Amino acid sequence: MANQRSKPTQGAGAWLGRRTFLKTAAGAAALPYFIPASALGQDGSSAPSNRIVMAGIGIGNMGRGDLGAFLGRGDVQYVAVCDVKRDVRDGSVNRVNEKYGNKDCKAYNDFREIMAREDIDAVHCATPDHWHAIIVIEACRNGKDIYCQKPETKTLREGKLMIDAARRYSRVVSGGSQRVLEDYRKIVDACWNGDKGIVKSINVNVGPLPTDCNKNGEPIPDGFDWDRWLGPAPWSPYHPHRCSGSYSIDGTSWRSFKDYSGGGMTDWGAHHFGGATFAIDVRELEPEEVIFHHENGRKFATCRYPDGKLIHHNYPGRGNLDVEGTNEKGPSEPVPGYAGSGGIYGDFIDCVKTRKRPFRDIEYAVHTANVCHLFLVAYELERSLKWDTKKQQFVNDDEANRLVDYARREPWVI
Amino acid sequence: MKSKHLTKTMLAAGAVAAAAGKALAQTDAAVDQSLAMLKTYDWGNDRNTLNAIDKAILDSHGDAAARRALEKKLVDLLVGGISRSAQDYVCRKLRVIGTVQSVDALAALLQAEETSHIARYALECIPDDKAVDAIRTALPKVSNKLKPGIIGSLGKRRDTKSIPSIAKLLGDSDVDVAQAAAEALAMIGTPTVAAPLIAFAKQARSDRKVAFADACLVCADRLLAEGRKTDAVAIYKALSGDDQPKHVKVAAMKGMLTAAAKK
Repeated sequence: MANQRSKPTQGAGAWLGRRTFLKTAAGAAALPYFIPASALGQDGSSAPSNRIVMAGIGIGNMGRGDLGAFLGRGDVQYVAVCDVKRDVRDGSVNRVNEKYGNKDCKAYNDFREIMAREDIDAVHCATPDHWHAIIVIEACRNGKDIYCQKPETKTLREGKLMIDAARRYSRVVSGGSQRVLEDYRKIVDACWNGDKGIVKSINVNVGPLPTDCNKNGEPIPDGFDWDRWLGPAPWSPYHPHRCSGSYSIDGTSWRSFKDYSGGGMTDWGAHHFGGATFAIDVRELEPEEVIFHHENGRKFATCRYPDGKLIHHNYPGRGNLDVEGTNEKGPSEPVPGYAGSGGIYGDFIDCVKTRKRPFRDIEYAVHTANVCHLFLVAYELERSLKWDTKKQQFVNDDEANRLVDYARREPWVI
Repeated sequence: MKSKHLTKTMLAAGAVAAAAGKALAQTDAAVDQSLAMLKTYDWGNDRNTLNAIDKAILDSHGDAAARRALEKKLVDLLVGGISRSAQDYVCRKLRVIGTVQSVDALAALLQAEETSHIARYALECIPDDKAVDAIRTALPKVSNKLKPGIIGSLGKRRDTKSIPSIAKLLGDSDVDVAQAAAEALAMIGTPTVAAPLIAFAKQARSDRKVAFADACLVCADRLLAEGRKTDAVAIYKALSGDDQPKHVKVAAMKGMLTAAAKK
């Protein structure tokens, strides 16, 4: 179905495949050309094809859920999966083929083979965090839209590169936290309705911080491409705790370790800080200062935005997403939401069709992730720092600037 | 009364100094103990046994002499021969506190497949020019497997002295090397790199066409952001032909429109 072309009807482009059409339309969205709604299938008429052709990269754990969500949609045709674990790959291929009753879904160990396929419109990525930037950028430069699980970045430098790639190629790039809109509605509504008055600050309680890992080597399981799992991260011997996708952050999962994750700060932080930045309406901004506190043996920190608003991390005596405002009734603003139907997945697919920016556009996702990374650097160095949002550098702090990114293991360069 | 008060103050000050000295001595002892442990440290050992070094690094912020002394001890361990796990730890620390005095020890690790990356992990961050010199010097000596990493580090450092040698690698038969060369030149992003990037983007094999085109666009975007509109537009124009994939052509056209709107 997905690869079938619509019969020519009328006018130029009638023979365009859906993918070719989307690429052209994407460009046109950035150029002063008019795309009629009929061509986009928005007026009830047939689009060049009616399905978005998709593939999944990193399809264990969260990726399995994402695959299920996209696979369950009538407007998606799932054609390929990629994972460095053979059993995960094979299981997912079977799942997709069973759904469609055919054997069309292909399995890959190397995501670049998926990127090279011209028939694929969009991908979703749920690899460990240290792979996200490389895969998102590669998708964009191959003209593919991408839904990337949270936390979208591993370092401060990666964020700008991902936004630049998305904008350069006019790609739809959605971050992957559904909780930003769905879990904090009460506090978001209160802030946007003006019930909190002028908002001064919000607090997020989240942790733990990531740690170094020095676990001993064990035999690499058959069918597991350990070298590719490590990818850009420093080499280390295989240990199941290094690469377990368990959601625990207790030293038994990749989410625990600095080389692959920002620990609880970025893992749950992507949700909580995403909700916090949404609630107090600073999604379009980045903090310009992070203030490190060490009082009575307790460490906590605060990010200050250019508009003066504060986001605290683990502020003593304050609850999660606890908002401090002037509490007089302020003006009310409509709360933004998803497009299409089917939650954050539907929002992404709808935006792939309409070329609009998704609710969790990569820019908002990166701004949230940067809050987490600024806190991480401040805790790592145990001092306050100023952040130049334009230069994407710390101000007058060479040591902090060394932590803006890391040297990637060959051959991975961004 | 006055004299009594002075005596009391002096005694108190002496006690504080003594306590501080004792604490310092204890800290130094703990650091020395951790440094000694590094000599036999290996995968599987308790990472917490090195915490005293981490703390000493934090505590010595702003104290250049203390930092240099600590760095020297770490470098001596690296030169003296330690396990791969201990090398890993030392390089991570030198990433944060490394100076010119670490460069030779790190450079010595660049050519070995096992240690090249972790050496770059530190070297790439050391601001001294000697660090970049070391990475550049290693480029012709390392294997093709290691070259993309070395090239990438030179790109991130925007090392203009590397342009000729990196440009030569655009035509390398190893796709990873060729792509890394294109990406590094884009990161360096001077007008000088435009010509070789465009030439290779126009004749690139299918397995590297997208990477080369992307490198051109990244370079053009950088030049435009830095006010070099004419140089940027020349690249955009070169990529707007039918020899490029459609999404690249569209991106190039978008670049030209952005440039046109710029004063």
